[in-house]
Amino acid sequence: MSDPVLREKEPLFELAELCVTRPAAARPELDRFSLTLGAGQSVVILGEAGSGKDALVRVLGGFTDRLEAISGTIRFNGGEARPAARRARAPIRIAYLPGPMAQPFAPHAGVLSQLVRVVARKLSSPLASAREELRLALERLPGAPPLEALEKRPGALDPVTAAWGLLAAATAQTPDLILADHPYADLGPGAVRALLETLAGEQKRLGFALVYATGGLQPVARLGGRIVVIRDGRVVEEGDAARLMSGHAHAYTRTLFKALPQLSLDRPKSRGVAHGQPLLQVHGLDLQAQGHQGLTFALRRGASLALVGEEGSGRRALARALLGLDRPAQGRVVFDSVDLGVLSQTMTARLRRRIAFITGADEALDGRMTLWDTVDEPLRAHLDLSQELVAGYRESALKRVGLASHDGKRTVASLGSFDKRRLQVARAIVGAPLLVMVDEPLRGLDAFAQTILREVLSDFRADYGPAFLIVTSDFTVAQALADEAFVFRDGKVVERGPIVDLLRASKDAATRALIEAVTLPSLSPAPDSI
Amino acid sequence: MLKFAARQAGRCALGLLGAAAAAAAISAIALPHKNGLGPFLLAAGVRLWGFLELDFGKSAISGLSAGGELAHSLPQTMALVLAGGCVALLVGVPLGLLLGAGPIRRAAAPLIQIVAAAPVFCAGMALAWGAARGLHWPVSVNAPMQGEAPIFTTDPAALRATALPVLTVGLAGAAAVQLALRRAASQSAREAFRSGLRRMGLTALEIERFYVAPQVIGGLLASAAEIMLALLSAALVAEWVFHRPGAADLFVKSVALQDWNMAALILFVFAALTFLADLAGRVGAEALASKDKP
Amino acid sequence: MSAPGEAPLLRAALRLLGWCGLGLIAVAVALGDFLARAPAGAAFVGPMLSAPSAEFPFGTDLLGRDLFSETLHGLSVSVSHALLGTLLAIALGGFFGAVAARLPRPAGLTLRGVFAIFASVPALLLAILVIGLSARFYAPLAAGFAAAPLAFVRAFDRVDVNSAHAEYARATGISWTTLLRRDLTYEFRDTLGTVAARALAAVTIILSTVSFLGFGATPPARDLGLMIAAAKASYLHAWWTAAFPALALLVLILCARLAAGLDESERP
Repeated sequence: MSDPVLREKEPLFELAELCVTRPAAARPELDRFSLTLGAGQSVVILGEAGSGKDALVRVLGGFTDRLEAISGTIRFNGGEARPAARRARAPIRIAYLPGPMAQPFAPHAGVLSQLVRVVARKLSSPLASAREELRLALERLPGAPPLEALEKRPGALDPVTAAWGLLAAATAQTPDLILADHPYADLGPGAVRALLETLAGEQKRLGFALVYATGGLQPVARLGGRIVVIRDGRVVEEGDAARLMSGHAHAYTRTLFKALPQLSLDRPKSRGVAHGQPLLQVHGLDLQAQGHQGLTFALRRGASLALVGEEGSGRRALARALLGLDRPAQGRVVFDSVDLGVLSQTMTARLRRRIAFITGADEALDGRMTLWDTVDEPLRAHLDLSQELVAGYRESALKRVGLASHDGKRTVASLGSFDKRRLQVARAIVGAPLLVMVDEPLRGLDAFAQTILREVLSDFRADYGPAFLIVTSDFTVAQALADEAFVFRDGKVVERGPIVDLLRASKDAATRALIEAVTLPSLSPAPDSI
Repeated sequence: MLKFAARQAGRCALGLLGAAAAAAAISAIALPHKNGLGPFLLAAGVRLWGFLELDFGKSAISGLSAGGELAHSLPQTMALVLAGGCVALLVGVPLGLLLGAGPIRRAAAPLIQIVAAAPVFCAGMALAWGAARGLHWPVSVNAPMQGEAPIFTTDPAALRATALPVLTVGLAGAAAVQLALRRAASQSAREAFRSGLRRMGLTALEIERFYVAPQVIGGLLASAAEIMLALLSAALVAEWVFHRPGAADLFVKSVALQDWNMAALILFVFAALTFLADLAGRVGAEALASKDKP
Repeated sequence: MSAPGEAPLLRAALRLLGWCGLGLIAVAVALGDFLARAPAGAAFVGPMLSAPSAEFPFGTDLLGRDLFSETLHGLSVSVSHALLGTLLAIALGGFFGAVAARLPRPAGLTLRGVFAIFASVPALLLAILVIGLSARFYAPLAAGFAAAPLAFVRAFDRVDVNSAHAEYARATGISWTTLLRRDLTYEFRDTLGTVAARALAAVTIILSTVSFLGFGATPPARDLGLMIAAAKASYLHAWWTAAFPALALLVLILCARLAAGLDESERP
């Protein structure tokens, strides 16, 4: 038996003074960035959109554009430093892990066949072997779906299943390094938690290094390890979570972590609207004609209710029934003293003018319209106002959401997700709605954007007083915008009541799972001593 | 796949029924009936019923069965369309692929589309002039040709007589083929999966071969109706320019002599060909897309 | 292959070239009577079948007509007929298609089905049929009617009635007329030039072919298609009798298609 040979391990890669500038860009996308990572280590690159994370992923993965100006060097396994601009194949095995919402799959072919082909290419093995490797990799991941679940086309596959498939494909390649490029940005907190915990587990088991680019704080909490905070192409700070959240961190970093939404066990202050007239009254509502006693409740003017659950739990179906978009199998819904079930289409349309939508689906806005036209439309369509009045209301609404300085003639298609969400709020403000339905408003936004949008929505609620109906899988969003919640699982309400009571003493496993998904104890901010 | 095919077949059947109704309405003009919407609708209904019983009435010119007359003329047109279609694929597919490589060539490619969009009769006359003056072929554009000139033949003299109309139809079809190909390819170029799969590790060749090519070919198949329309339209003009007998030539004469029975039947047959081409193309495209199973 | 944003300067230059070409054609048509040396159809102005020369730049035809003048007059007739047909194709096809897409679904789909039946027949045959059923005077309108069904179906299909933003708008009480106004404002208005140029090219091809086959313009108002048909008797040995009218026709269609922009994602 040979003695083990001890040798000093070289870093897996060393990036030195990396600068990346896109063609015709005013400033570098990444400016004098250096990073060293050892085998089995992980680093979370945390920053807003446009901070330079994408450039880092492109350089490490070798996906750079020929037109980009790149300087700096990269070294693998202690070997010779070579120019980072050289697009030669890296001498280590790198697996790229994208998110399913980035649409990495060809739309007309099955997801499974594409993943198998990727694994086969990376392992230089036949397709049959690659399929078997993928199957084994999936079986090793706790909570992952079976292989056959991936046989559908991307359009027919739910994003969480696709995310499991992508993770299995990455680990099946037995990589030295996984480049995770915002893989779970648009998924619900429960799914994100499960996927991140599995990723961390696989990293321990397989010993690969991990570079995780993200704009959110969940990965920081679940993965731990080193964090590099990046802004405008430069490193602001790096360290572990405890250090970055301490009073000794950079102001930008402290603000980032301070903005972390926390569940609070304190009762909210009364908003004085508990005695408002009922806006929405529901009697015996049963969506699926299951024969049991249906749902009965009332939502008063100015009050707000959160429908909390994972995708497919039935919360959205209830919301659609409450708003008269779908007919329930049984029961009655009365909106503003009018039974929705007996109204004609014309009258229903008139009633719907008092409802506004704010949704995390950016396609809800018409990309062809301009910024101003999007905000003006409810006023022009429903009211006969002069140009000056319309302009006045529009300006006021845009100021409230922080879009007043944008060029009003820009098309919606040219805006980013954050601006589109705020535009939806501005459009809702001018409509002076009685009820606002908010559906996963923070989906796909980075931490900063989420913070600001949370504030915008809270201010809207406080200043204008509409009732809110929130559909979400995130209890922090529910708590920020509502006082009461219904928790959903498998198409049924499993628990209901004031949110604080649910947080303090939840009775159902589904409720507890949803609460745990957003509880990030390792990231509790330091007391306000700054 | 079966459900998709059944749905498309249903659409096709509805289209054929609609085409038959439209043809019956045109044909009803020839039937003696009183003025007014009611009597006209009744006459159209009678003709539609006849269509469904495969009774297509009589030609107002010859007095013979319209179906029989068409059965005599249609094979020549179909042979011309078929031969032209082969030329269209042989010329159009490489042209479409060639013009797809490189951003400058892609941006300049529309110029080819412009040339290809020139009227078919201009192209036919230009080919005839080139054959007469350059190759010294005995070309006739002013009188009907002597004797039969089947499309599929090995006789050099007959081949010379058919080459020009076949080329005319083929080039018109090639324009439609290369446009459909490049349209499908341009849609594919915009998809995010190209960079996604590339980053995950597939080579550019694999992506083109397994994902882009089926998408592009599928797009070409899905445009089968458009290509058929171009071929039929070109066949009409080619038969007229080169004085070849056929269904398209018969249609022009029927309209000129107000034989609405005949005209309606020919229109119905052409519409049916387009609907059937559309059905075959869509089902083919779907079958190609469903084939992916490593 | 071609993706939007690729070689934008080249695309813009081609489009500008197309519109400039159409502008020049419009000027030539407006000044046709002034530029032409002889009135339309004036026979025996020069020797018969004379080749292009300094005196007769485009040569003369079988009846001694000055082909330069005849081509100008023919271009004028072709352009005016094509414009009329284009207006009809846009109104009945593109505009009505966008409106129909926003009608209550059963009505809209029925209309689409009807237009799709006519769109399944080559536009040329449809034009010939309409001309045969009406008087030849209505040839431009017949060409417009013939081009309309395909334009209708394409305009109808372009409107995504099940889009997320349409559903969102309906859920907040926005009426179908407001959604229609959106389509017409943002889709139609912004692309009206492109739509018109594309329709002009299509209608010109139909009209000239119909005239070539003998169903279109009748003498003395000869359009380019009729001129080329008349040249069949002589062009094999006097190439100029067909070449110049054909060239004028090609330039008209070329400019219209260039002006249309030729985005491959759009069906022609």
